[in-house]
Amino acid sequence: MVLLLKVVACFVVLLHCSRAQASSFEVNLTVLPSFIWDDVANRLNALPSILTVSPSQEPSFHSSSDLLLSSFHGDPEISDYCRELLHIFGQRYVSYVNCLVSSARPVKVCLNCFMLYNRLTDIYSNISQVGLGNESCQVTLLRSDRLMLVYELYDKITDIWKTSHCSNCLSNDSLSSDALHYMAKLNESLRCFESQKSNHSELCKECKASYKVLNDLYGRMEKNKSLCIDIEDAMNMTRILWSKSFNCSFPREETVPVIAVSSFMLFLPIIFYLSSFLHSEQKKRKLIHPKRVKSSNSLMNIQDKHS
Amino acid sequence: MIPPVISKVFSCYLALLYLNCLTDLRFYLNKTSYLCPQFSGGKLFHIGRLSTVDLEEEIDEEESVVSRPKEIPHNEKLLSLKYESLDYDNSENQLFLEEERRMSQMGFKCLEMSRWLVCALIGILTGLIACFIDIVVENLAGLKYQVIQQNIERFTETGGLSISLILWVLLNSAFVMVGSVIVAFFEPIAAGSGIPQIKCYLNGVKIPRVVRLKTLVVKVCGVICSVVGGLAVGKEGPMIHSGAVVAAGISQGRSTSLKRDFKIFEYFRRDTEKRDFVSAGAAAGVSAAFGAPVGGVLFSLEEGASFWNQMLTWRIFFASMISTFTLNFFMSIYHNKPGDFSNPGLINFGRFDSDSTEYYLYEIPLFIIMGAFGGLLGALFNVLNYWLTILRIRYIHRPCLQVMEAVLVAAVTATVSFTMIYFSDDCQPLGEDQLEEYPLQLFCADGEYNSMATAVFNTPERSVRSLFHSPAGSYNPVTLGIFTITYFFLACWTYGLTVSAGVFIPSLLIGAAWGRLFGILLASFTPHNSIQTLADPGKYALIGAAAQLGGIVRMTLSLTVIMVEATGNVTYGLPIMLVLMTAKIVGDYFVEGLYDIHIKLQSVPFLHWDAPATSHSLTAREVMSSPVTCFNLVEKVGTIVDVLSNTSTNHNGFPVVSRLSDGCEPGKICGLILRSQLIVLLKHKVFVERARSRLNQRKLQLKDFRDAYPRFPPIQSIHVSQDERECMMDLTEFMNPTPYTVTQETSLPRVFKLFRALGLRHLIVVDSDNQVVGLVTRKDLARYHLGKHGLEELQLAQT
Repeated sequence: MVLLLKVVACFVVLLHCSRAQASSFEVNLTVLPSFIWDDVANRLNALPSILTVSPSQEPSFHSSSDLLLSSFHGDPEISDYCRELLHIFGQRYVSYVNCLVSSARPVKVCLNCFMLYNRLTDIYSNISQVGLGNESCQVTLLRSDRLMLVYELYDKITDIWKTSHCSNCLSNDSLSSDALHYMAKLNESLRCFESQKSNHSELCKECKASYKVLNDLYGRMEKNKSLCIDIEDAMNMTRILWSKSFNCSFPREETVPVIAVSSFMLFLPIIFYLSSFLHSEQKKRKLIHPKRVKSSNSLMNIQDKHS
Repeated sequence: MIPPVISKVFSCYLALLYLNCLTDLRFYLNKTSYLCPQFSGGKLFHIGRLSTVDLEEEIDEEESVVSRPKEIPHNEKLLSLKYESLDYDNSENQLFLEEERRMSQMGFKCLEMSRWLVCALIGILTGLIACFIDIVVENLAGLKYQVIQQNIERFTETGGLSISLILWVLLNSAFVMVGSVIVAFFEPIAAGSGIPQIKCYLNGVKIPRVVRLKTLVVKVCGVICSVVGGLAVGKEGPMIHSGAVVAAGISQGRSTSLKRDFKIFEYFRRDTEKRDFVSAGAAAGVSAAFGAPVGGVLFSLEEGASFWNQMLTWRIFFASMISTFTLNFFMSIYHNKPGDFSNPGLINFGRFDSDSTEYYLYEIPLFIIMGAFGGLLGALFNVLNYWLTILRIRYIHRPCLQVMEAVLVAAVTATVSFTMIYFSDDCQPLGEDQLEEYPLQLFCADGEYNSMATAVFNTPERSVRSLFHSPAGSYNPVTLGIFTITYFFLACWTYGLTVSAGVFIPSLLIGAAWGRLFGILLASFTPHNSIQTLADPGKYALIGAAAQLGGIVRMTLSLTVIMVEATGNVTYGLPIMLVLMTAKIVGDYFVEGLYDIHIKLQSVPFLHWDAPATSHSLTAREVMSSPVTCFNLVEKVGTIVDVLSNTSTNHNGFPVVSRLSDGCEPGKICGLILRSQLIVLLKHKVFVERARSRLNQRKLQLKDFRDAYPRFPPIQSIHVSQDERECMMDLTEFMNPTPYTVTQETSLPRVFKLFRALGLRHLIVVDSDNQVVGLVTRKDLARYHLGKHGLEELQLAQT
């Protein structure tokens, strides 16, 4: 059953990664066996049972996987070394994806899975490097076909890693001190919330100090750009708890002074315009009379002509 | 306590009534003023109008003999004597022809080269000025908003937000006060956007001091202060004025204000050449403001197109391109991304190129409706601003009052903004890529910001961008509605203050706000399956912005291109054009464009594209001024000095006739001489007697006229002794021997066309014997305009 879950998880991630839409569903189905390769694929006997979504695919799926397996066993192009690397890559990939899915909500993908990710990067760098005894798996595994499956899979998973900004919370392959410090503070606040759960107004007073410390710390980390998705998510949740569930935001309570000052300000221009209207002398223009041949030849004349 | 208040309000009401009565009074004056007796002189006749000098007493004296001067309150149906024409028509006198003949073909080529060089310099300098304004505004405004933001954050927690309000008000007022003081006390011509002034200049009206270095300095500092001061203004309009000043300065190769003459580009020291460069400068300004080089060229074409040729177009385009490139280049260095040309203009609308911003055929009727709405709102804006401006001209004309008004507007703007933010309940979650530079949380939940603050607590440019590009759902409809209404009135109130500031950005902002609102409402009314295509409110914000701007300024071709270039999306060409068309048609039904209103209120003798439609019945005889002050070919110095110093008739052009007969009949026309030329002649004492006595005296050259250009000394500063008054002056060499003339029967539209197409300043009316009977000047033509009751005549007035 655990295996089944793993496969499903794997499948979901794949779907997600390739931003697959309904139309590419079948493509993904056929991709799956080739990636998991031989012994991983052997364990996949349970797979068809969950793939009842498209029953018409079932026979072809079987036959194609069998075909692939049989043809690759005797393939001279792939060395045992590369096969071994691929195997390990598959295992680590599955375990990392497994970890990701299980820590999706609330988000703990960095804190829980960074070790697994590091192991995955290790093996991938092994694959992409020139290996022992002049033996290179880079070409055979990464670039020998149009699909470039191993590369694509790794690329997608790296995207997730990058968008989650996990590296901001790590230093030297372990959690950074900032992140740890933040987690400690977070726990402190949450403990406080827990203890005062019954009375919200008490909670706002009691936990304000620890919450403020947490909030300020977060603000500082935001400026340093040392935030990863775990911390952001935890902070978001805490803030929602604080502001919405416990209703501890600042109340709008000094409406009267604000209105007073504003209405005073708004009143000033009225006084200004009235006083300048009443006291300032109106600017007059002196008319000048132009010299014309006939003075009557002007406006009245024009109007006469037009009437 | 109460009765005095009531009586005040009542008197105020009476005064308002009085204002309304003025319209009738004006009509009455129109009728009576022409019944006044005319006075005809003896040997010398005075026509024309002018006078930049104040001579109020003398005029009083003289006029009181004839008729008491009529005094009326300022209104839009006046022509001011303050404005004179520019000499766009070259005076082809003997000196000029000699010089042209001396010049080799090579010389002309060099001249052409230096024209290009000047245009490149104009582009570079305009771009640099734009850069400077942008950087200073960004930093100062950033500082201001940071201080206020911190203050608000502190007081949200501890209470006392009214102190933040006062801080905001004080900061705004301080900046605006500085900006307003330099404008009001040092260079009043730098007020406003400067576009009406440049429009007049390109039309051929000499607006005093409009292209001076001092104006540029005040303009740049003023615009920085007013934008940082948080007024509802933009820095784009003033860029056009700045570009024009730069052009007028560089092309002369010297600065009269700094008293430095670099002895270069001397050939360009006359109105004709200068005008070409000024149109290039205006184009460069537009181009730097919006990142729209083609739009800039078309702006020059649209606003100053009476004089144009293809070569000039190409040169102006060159200047525009250089200007936007310079801005782009230096901004990329400033942003530490040298070579990244993503800041082509002061305002960056951002790119509209995702799939969701495409439009569909069925949306075009919606766009047209928006255009009509923009036209309506624009007309309302203009009418309100018109009344406000009249009030300002009549009552708020003292500099200290003007400063006070500007400061009050700044204070109220800050207050209103703060109140809107304070009472807004629209909270939005903070995004990862923060479009909001200074998010204010206030009473929102932690991790959210007040969405009203994005619109108000920001420089207007940023707000526009945020309205265009924020994802759907960043603003709620109530916020947008309130914002549109308040900003509309604030912008309307602000335009016309004594600060230098433009109206482009506020118009765009108002339009973007209601456009976005329209988009949101539309999306909520449509069935859910089509939401995908209608949901993008940014698109509607853009169309709304175009409609609103078109409704206010009524520009057509150039505005379409500017919008298309600023958004970097040609796909929107058709909708924007349709929208601007509709906005103009609807708006013109009610009232003119904002710039035209302001030109009228300044009493500028502005010549429109064509003569008024029903003016064919008028002939040159009715239009011209007569009788004319003429000079003989060889004239006595005393006579010339007397005529020039006659302050009541400050003429600028004098027909030269063969022999002034003793009666009132002037002789045959020989040429035309300008006041400025006579003054140079008097200054250099080019008298017939002198030439005889001192044969070795250097002959006067065209250079002497150029050196005095453009600020010819007043006649009072030239001392002519009693002996010299008896000398004679030979004008043959200096007058323009081939002035344009028309006969008395020429119709007004024909005269108008000559004026408009050739850029004339004086047009002599002759009879069948080629004797001078009258003179047509710009003010004689500009006074006819089509009003509500047919053809109307404007009054000449001293302002």
